[in-house]
Amino acid sequence: MVGLAGCVSFGGGEGSDDDGSGDGSGGDDGSEDGSGGDDGSGDGSGGDDGSDDGSDAPETISLGQPASLSGQWDFLQPGVSQATDAAVAHINEAGGPLDAELEVIRRDTAVDPQEARTVTTQLIENDGVPAIVGLFSSEINPLWDFLQDFEVPMVTPWPGSTFLDTRGGDKGTPEDLSDDEWIWRTVVGDTVHTSGSAVYALENDLDTLGVLNGTTEGERSYVEGFLSVYEDNGGTVAERVEVEIGGSSYQSALSRLFDAEFDAFLVSLPLESAITALSDWADAGYGRQPILSDPLAQQDLVDQVGSDIHGAWAGSPGQSGPSYDTFEEVYSGQGDAEINAWTPPAWDAMQVIALAIQRAGEATPEAIERNLGPVSRDGGTAVNNFAEGKEALENGEEISYQGAATPTNFTQHGNVFGSVTISTAGENGFEATSEVPAEDIREYVAEGEY
Amino acid sequence: MSALDRLPSGRGDRALIAGVACLLVGGLFALTPLQASLPSALYVFVEVGITFVIYGMLVLGLDLQYGHTGLVNFGHVVFFAVGAYATAMLAAQDSFAGIALGYPWPLALLVGVIAAALLGLVVSATSIRLRDDFLAIVTLATAEIFHSIFVNFEGIFGGNVGILGVPRPIAGLVGDADTRMIATILVIGGVTLITLAAVTRLTDAPYGRVLRAIRADELVTRSVGKSTIVYKTQAFVYGAALAGLAGGLFALYNGAVAPGFFTIQVTVTIWIGMLLGGAANHRAVLAGLAIIMGLRLVSRFGLSVTPVSGDVFAAFRLVVVGLILIAVIRFRPAGIWGDPQELGVDQ
Amino acid sequence: MGLLQEAIFGVVTGSYIAIAAIGFTLIYGIVNMINFAYGEYLTLGAFVGFLAASAIPVPLPVAVVLAMIGGGVISIVLARGFFTPINHTGPVPMLLTSIGLGIAIRNAIRLFGGRSARYIETETTTFRFDGVPDVAIGSLDLLGGFFVTSEHLVVVGSAVAVFLAIHALLTRTDVGIAMRAMGDDESLARVRGIDTQLIRDSVWVLAGVLAGLAGVLMAIQTNVSSTTGFSHILQILSAAILGGAGSPYGAIIGAYVIGLALAISTAFLPSSMTGLSSAVAFAILIAVLLVKPSGIAGTEVREA
Repeated sequence: MVGLAGCVSFGGGEGSDDDGSGDGSGGDDGSEDGSGGDDGSGDGSGGDDGSDDGSDAPETISLGQPASLSGQWDFLQPGVSQATDAAVAHINEAGGPLDAELEVIRRDTAVDPQEARTVTTQLIENDGVPAIVGLFSSEINPLWDFLQDFEVPMVTPWPGSTFLDTRGGDKGTPEDLSDDEWIWRTVVGDTVHTSGSAVYALENDLDTLGVLNGTTEGERSYVEGFLSVYEDNGGTVAERVEVEIGGSSYQSALSRLFDAEFDAFLVSLPLESAITALSDWADAGYGRQPILSDPLAQQDLVDQVGSDIHGAWAGSPGQSGPSYDTFEEVYSGQGDAEINAWTPPAWDAMQVIALAIQRAGEATPEAIERNLGPVSRDGGTAVNNFAEGKEALENGEEISYQGAATPTNFTQHGNVFGSVTISTAGENGFEATSEVPAEDIREYVAEGEY
Repeated sequence: MSALDRLPSGRGDRALIAGVACLLVGGLFALTPLQASLPSALYVFVEVGITFVIYGMLVLGLDLQYGHTGLVNFGHVVFFAVGAYATAMLAAQDSFAGIALGYPWPLALLVGVIAAALLGLVVSATSIRLRDDFLAIVTLATAEIFHSIFVNFEGIFGGNVGILGVPRPIAGLVGDADTRMIATILVIGGVTLITLAAVTRLTDAPYGRVLRAIRADELVTRSVGKSTIVYKTQAFVYGAALAGLAGGLFALYNGAVAPGFFTIQVTVTIWIGMLLGGAANHRAVLAGLAIIMGLRLVSRFGLSVTPVSGDVFAAFRLVVVGLILIAVIRFRPAGIWGDPQELGVDQ
Repeated sequence: MGLLQEAIFGVVTGSYIAIAAIGFTLIYGIVNMINFAYGEYLTLGAFVGFLAASAIPVPLPVAVVLAMIGGGVISIVLARGFFTPINHTGPVPMLLTSIGLGIAIRNAIRLFGGRSARYIETETTTFRFDGVPDVAIGSLDLLGGFFVTSEHLVVVGSAVAVFLAIHALLTRTDVGIAMRAMGDDESLARVRGIDTQLIRDSVWVLAGVLAGLAGVLMAIQTNVSSTTGFSHILQILSAAILGGAGSPYGAIIGAYVIGLALAISTAFLPSSMTGLSSAVAFAILIAVLLVKPSGIAGTEVREA
């Protein structure tokens, strides 16, 4: 029911919240400018226009951030914005790339592909940014050809889509731009962390599964990633029910689901719908082990559903990188936005771009693209942040950035790999209780296909 | 009287000539090594301009239905979507999800137009007799149903990912980005101008007078022996076919379709554009659409000078858009360039 | 679980929709407009209820009453400001105005209320009836054990109370009888000395009160955000039209048809299609409009 959301919203619906859009203008709105850096101004002008400033170090270097300031996913943006701003502050404190001042121009796409088209064009062509830090799966996939045409590196903390498993990156040849696909992601793909959750479920003898998921891209992609590993390794799915998001009740869907026999059930829904569904589940007293998709590991869920949810767990990527502590320290000094799975990757995205500029000696799209691989992959001095990296590069050393979310070793397709943290709900919200190491997951993801 | 209205008559022919000229110049850029150059600051305007000419076909079709015939279609986006999906699925070479058949794109485009027209025929056959506001609800519900279907049947329509790998004929011919954008806006803009010429001819002809008579007073029109149902069905199907054409061109321009491109926001945008400009006047509805889309684009640049945060600005702007719609209906019900008498509204 | 349990879920969903659909259909019948901003009335009611329950704070039943009063006041103020002045222009301009008003209000709420969802704290008790025997026909179980929660009982109870009150109003009071007369034939009603503007105002207030109640009930079950009401507007509208636009009794029937259709389609569609349940509700609506354009109990809406 209710679903009108997705489409019919003039704005609305959990599903589509609208916002932004009501007018047809899709979400838009605007232009939020970016307040990027610490100066809060980000007016877009200062950017260097990648093409004409050549190798001379510019005074300011602007990066473009398409953001979900409004729309269905806007609740995830504060953490990512804060991580970005924290990274900018940290990088500038360390002298900035090529001694220039780094800033970020942030513009709203409302996660609407049509808006994303306009915003990306505006950032690259009008603001003249040499690299983009952002874009969601649902923007990247339908705009794939369009984004490739820019030939500007886009390092994004958002997309989990399996579409990107074999797309993006420099194909292992940093100097040769002809085969590059320009999109890099600093967040592990759904394939990896859903594998981690599936492995953990099987290790805990949860051999049969019920699935409740929304019909949005992120929710489906999560479930499909989970099930492919789960079923290939002996797990069985007893029942799967897809629901529209934003419903006033999920009792019918739950009653259908719990008619089947299974050990655990996987819930992949946006937070608000998940709270409604799990409250219904608690009221009905169905019991059994809940497994949650990673965006659901939030305090609100535990507060609203109550003690029935204790013991539910979610496998999240992104909080297990070698420099997580460094990140967290700088981050918490910058504000109090809640950390989510995309927050540390946003920090990593900024660090690798800044390091790539530093190594390249110039802030052009091509130069950054050529250097993203070399500053991140194994080999060279391990550095935990831009400050260490800049120093090492100035000493003529090669570096390997060790990220906050993952070690940030880009694969040939521009993906990263990392361990998965299992967080379990309890009295005090979600707490990390276990970890599935990266090597264990690696067994389930074929070489070259990620 | 606005400047638009002072243009000499025969404007349909002028639009036709301009449209053909655009197509020829666009074709020249696409097919020859001739190159154009575009200052990068203008990219975003051309980008939005391409969307505008595509939506222009939608608003012309909608105006044929509402402005000229009085049919309240509040699900116009569904015909746009069906045209786009049909074209994409037939033409796509290798989609990540959903069906990709790999037929030549001209055939796919033709099928896209036909599919949208057929859907229009089905909707009108079943619903055209309903009273205005109920037709609005049925069309709205139809759009909702199709949106659910596109999202749900992943194996056929690619779910939320949509259909990828659609050939881009112009991009395939032109490597250089500046030339490609210029060629694209000229070619699609040319099609829109030719559409404008065609609908102008249609509505200037006696046929158009029958449509407007239906809008003004259906009973009287019927009493003089015109089958109003046939006329209404034709107007509805023409509008749907135009939307299908717009959808097909969009798919071939973007190289992919996804549900995110076909939300009700599209319907709302073209409705506001049509009402703002003045229904039943082809150039006025295009001008209205240009105003609303232009405001949207300009506001993107405007934020840096306002003292509020982006989030506040986004919500505030939409409040203003809603109030503009209310104000236009209340104080200028015929739109900026519309003719109140012809529309039969009280001023 | 059996069909009985599904029917209970359907009745609960139908009850939310029914309360709102009565208000929606009364506006349709008396003011002669489809009010697309009606979902926002629910949202505003939900916010009033939330503020009363958390900020003042008052006990939940008092908050519900405040939400109803708030809904009535908001409704008449908006009507006076936006709809009454254009009453003479006909259904389409009024529909479009309501769409514009909906966009404006929704975003104004967002502007002042922020984006995040808020929750009204409640305790829910579940009552189980496991001893009911199964009555199976093939794989379909007609009875079987079932449960209801205290929330379900409150929602259904509120709906029944509303139905009784509306019935009494329409049949026993002068205002209600005048409303029915006006719904049948406005000019005749005017000739007979009914103050049509007063009746219209009464309908706006009544519809607002019902919206406030429906909004706060939905908020208790889900959450309060700028889109609480909007996400239900198409269901409300479908129920009202299904039942025969303008008829409160028809709206009640329409709401339960939609509620049951949603529950049963979720339970019995093939699992690849369970996400389609709202499309099913609209398909029913379209089918009814085509077969019996007057709805289950209402007036002719075809023109030709």
